[in-house]
Amino acid sequence: MSGTKGASQSRFLRGVHRTLTGLHPALESLLAGVVGLLIGAILMYIWGFDPWKAYLALFKGAYGGSYEFSSSLARGTPLILTALTFSICLRAGMFNIGAEGQMYMGGIASVCVALFVLPPGLHQIVGLIFAAFAGAVWSLVPAFLKLTRGVHEVISTIMFNWIARWLALYIAIFLLVDPRRAEKTLSIPVSARFPVLVRGTDLSYTIFLSIAFALVIYFILWHTTVGYEVRAAGLNPTAARYGGIKNKRTMFLSFVLGGVAAGLAGATIVMGLPPTYAIYGGGALPQLTNLGFDGMAVAMVGRNHPIGIIVAALFFGGLNAGGRVMQFYGSNPVPLEMVRVVMGAIVLAMSIPELIRLFPMLKKQGTEFIELLRRIGRRKDRRQSA
Amino acid sequence: MREEKQRPPAGNGYFLRAEGITKVYSDGTVAVKDAQLEIHPREILGMLGENGAGKTTLTKILSGLLPPTKGRVISPRGPVKFASPREALDFGIGMVHQHFALVGTFTAAENVALSHERPFTRIQLARTKKRLERLMEESGLRVPLDVPVEKLAVGEQQRVEVLKVLSREVDLLILDEPTSVLTPLEVDELFALLSRLKDAEKSIILITHKLKEVQSITDRIVVLRHGEMVGDVRTVDATTEQLAHLMVGEALEEEADAVELSDEELPTHKERGEARRSGEGLLHVVDLTAKGNTGEIAVDGVSFDVYAREIFGIAGVEGNGQTELVESLTGLRVPIKGTATIEGFNILGKDPREIYRLGVAHIPEDRWELGLVLPFTLAENAILGVHRWEEFRGPLSFLRWRKINQHVRQLMDRFEIQATGPSAPAKSLSGGNQQKLIVGRELAKDPAIIVAAQPTRGLDIGAAHYIRQTLLEMRDNGRAILLVSADLDEVLALSDRVAIMYEGKFMTVCSPADLDRETVGMLMGGVTAKEAA
Repeated sequence: MSGTKGASQSRFLRGVHRTLTGLHPALESLLAGVVGLLIGAILMYIWGFDPWKAYLALFKGAYGGSYEFSSSLARGTPLILTALTFSICLRAGMFNIGAEGQMYMGGIASVCVALFVLPPGLHQIVGLIFAAFAGAVWSLVPAFLKLTRGVHEVISTIMFNWIARWLALYIAIFLLVDPRRAEKTLSIPVSARFPVLVRGTDLSYTIFLSIAFALVIYFILWHTTVGYEVRAAGLNPTAARYGGIKNKRTMFLSFVLGGVAAGLAGATIVMGLPPTYAIYGGGALPQLTNLGFDGMAVAMVGRNHPIGIIVAALFFGGLNAGGRVMQFYGSNPVPLEMVRVVMGAIVLAMSIPELIRLFPMLKKQGTEFIELLRRIGRRKDRRQSA
Repeated sequence: MREEKQRPPAGNGYFLRAEGITKVYSDGTVAVKDAQLEIHPREILGMLGENGAGKTTLTKILSGLLPPTKGRVISPRGPVKFASPREALDFGIGMVHQHFALVGTFTAAENVALSHERPFTRIQLARTKKRLERLMEESGLRVPLDVPVEKLAVGEQQRVEVLKVLSREVDLLILDEPTSVLTPLEVDELFALLSRLKDAEKSIILITHKLKEVQSITDRIVVLRHGEMVGDVRTVDATTEQLAHLMVGEALEEEADAVELSDEELPTHKERGEARRSGEGLLHVVDLTAKGNTGEIAVDGVSFDVYAREIFGIAGVEGNGQTELVESLTGLRVPIKGTATIEGFNILGKDPREIYRLGVAHIPEDRWELGLVLPFTLAENAILGVHRWEEFRGPLSFLRWRKINQHVRQLMDRFEIQATGPSAPAKSLSGGNQQKLIVGRELAKDPAIIVAAQPTRGLDIGAAHYIRQTLLEMRDNGRAILLVSADLDEVLALSDRVAIMYEGKFMTVCSPADLDRETVGMLMGGVTAKEAA
C-alpha cells in the first residue's frame, strides 16, 4: 500500500468514525434496526426465502391495518414495562436482569384476584397492587443482597429468575389451577379484567397503564429530586456521595421501582390479554416466557429513555405480531425463529456505535500486536543468522 | 536471548545520557523543559522535586512509557529510542511505579511470569519460580511466592515489583516515590537492598521529595523545579538548606507576579497577622486521625482551628495526608479518632449532607471524580448537593427547573462561566469553567466555612486568578477558609496562617511571613527546623 493511499484511507476511516460516534442516540437505534433487518434478510436469502416478500408480510402483519396495529400494540404493552425495569436500574448504575422473574411473580399474584369477589374498578386496582407488590418483593432480595453483602445483581437476579419460574409454575399447576381445565390457572372474573380497547383484537386498556407508567418514570427520573439522585448516583457514585446522596438508597429505590414495573407487566398479561385471562401452566408459562428478556432488548433500542422505550416496544411488538403472519404467508413461509434472529441482530447492532467508540483503542492495540509480530520475526532472523 | 542484548560497557563513562529532553503534553502543559541527565553505572541517583516538577515524566521517558517531544536518549553505543516499556526493559531499564501494576489475585511468581513475553504455561511458571528463588537468594529480597499478592503487605508488594524488574536483569532501576507507602523498617530494608544492588554494578534512580532519604542513600542528586533541571550536585557536597532551596525555588514575589497576585490586591502579611485569634475557631479540630485507602495512618493526630475572616492554608507535598484530612472533614471518610466541631457539633463521620447543613462548602480536589457528574448538564450539576433545598424543590419533591435555570444563569453571570446555556453538558466546558461552576455552586450555598482543596489545579492563569480573588473576597466577608494546595506559592500568598503537612502531621503552624523559602522546603521534606540547625 502506498503512503498516500494509506493516509487517505485512514482519513476516510476517521471520517466514518466521527460520523458514527457523533450520531444522535435515536439515529443509532434506527441504524441498529436497519442493520438487524439487513442481517435477517441475508440469512433468509441464504436459506432460500425471499426476504422482500417476507418483510412485506411482516410489516403488513405488524402495521398493515387497525387489527394488525392493535395486535402489535398489545404485544408491546408488557415489553414497555419490563424494559422500564431494566432502564431504571441501569440509570441507577446497575444491571438488573430480574425483570423476567419479577414479571412471573406479578402475573401469579394477579391471578389471585380470582379467589375473591370485588366490585369492578376496585377489583382491577387490587389486582394491580398485588402484582406490583409481588414484583417489588421479588426484587427486594437481590437488592438486599447487593446492599448488605455486595452480591452482584446480575448473578442474584439471574438466579431469582429461575426460582421465580419454577415457583410460578408450581403455583399455577398446583395451587391456582382451574379445576375444570388443568392446563391453565383460574381465569380472573370479568370484574377484574381490563376491557378490550379495539373490538376483535387482544389490545386492552392495559396499554394505557404501560404508557402512563412510562411517563411517570420519566417524570420521576427527570423532574424530581429522587430521580435526580438516582441518575447522579448511576453516572458518578463518588460525586453523588459528595453531593450528599445516599447511593444505597437510590439503588434500593430503583430496584423496587423496577420490580413494580415488572410485576405490572405480568398483570397486563393476566388481566388484559383476551381470551383466557389466566396463565397457562401446563405449557411452561408460554405467555410470559421471555417477556422480561425481550424487555431488555427494548430498553437498549429505546436508549433507556421511557419515551424511547414506548417507540421501541411498538417496534418489537410489531416484529412479534408480524412474525406470525410472515410464518403463514402463502408461497414464502419464513419460520417465526427468523424474527428472533432479527431481534438478536438488532441488539448486536446496538453495540456497534460503542465498538466504534473503542476504535482508537483497538487501532493502538492492533499496531502494538503487529509490532510484536515484527519483533518476533526479527529475533528469528537473527537467531538463524547466528 | 540475553547474549543478544546490547550491553553498554560497565565501569567508565556513562550508562545512559538524556540530552535536551522536553515533554509537552497534548493539553499544552510543559512537563519537562530541556533536561540534561547523565546516569553512571554503579550509582544511586536521587531525583528531587515538588509535585509537578517533572520527575515522573522524565523517568517515564527514560523507561519508554512516554515518547519525548524533543531531545534524545543516548547510550555509549549511540542513540536509543524506546517505543514501549518492554523495549526499555530489553535494553536494561526498568521502572517501579508509584502505583503498582500487579494482578491482585495472582501470586508473586505468576505476576513476574506475566511480565515476560513468553507464554504463560505451567513449565514457564516453574522456571520463573526457580529463577526467582535464585534471585531472592542473590538479592536478599524475600517475598512469599505462592500467595496472591493482594494478601501481601504493601512493602512486600513493592518487593514483588522490584523483583519483577530485576528478573529482567536490568542495569538501571528507576523507583518512583518508593518510600511513600512503606513503614520506616521497610524503608531501611529497601535502602539496604539498593546499596547491595549498587555493589552489583547496577544504577538506580530514586525519585523522592524527602530530603533526609535522598541525603542518606544517594551518591548524586538532581533537582527539578517546574520541569527544569535546577541542580545536579554530589550528595556529599550538598547541604540540606541548599537542596531545600533548590527544590522550592526563589523569591515568592516573583512567582506571585506570575500568577497576577499583586500587592494592592493582597493585604500584606503583617496586616493579616494582626487579626486576633483566640478561643475556638469556627471549625475546631482536635487530634484527628484517619487511615488512608491502603490502611496506613494518613492523618496522624492533627489539631487546629480555622477562624472566621481567615484563610488557613495547608501546604506540603501531595500524599502526606491532605486528601484524607479534607475527606474526613467533609464527610467522605470516617476517621478513626478525634473530633472536629462546628458550633459544638461533631462533624466527623457524619453524612456530607448534614455537614453542608452546618454551613460547610467543599471545593473538591478532583473535579471530575467528585465535583461534577460530567454527563449531567450545567443546571443539573449546579444543584448537586443543594438539590433538596426548598428553593429548588416544589411539592411532591418535583424539581423546579425554571428556578434552577434562573439560578444557573445568575451563577454564569456572577462567576463568568462560559457555556452555551444551562442545558450544556458539563463535560463540554473547559477545565476553568468547570471549576468556576463548582466554586460558584459551593459559594452560592452562602457557607460559613469553605474547604477548598487544590482549587486552582490545572487552570489557566486567568481562571486561577479569578478563583483566588473569590476566595480572598470570601475571607473578607467573614468566612473561614481551609485551603489545601500543592501549589506552595498559592498557599503562602493567600493564607493568613499556614501549616506544613508531612506524613500526616503538621510540621509547623505559623504566619507565612515567618517562613522563608528554605525553611518551607525543609519542612516539606520532613526536616524540622531544629534538626536543620
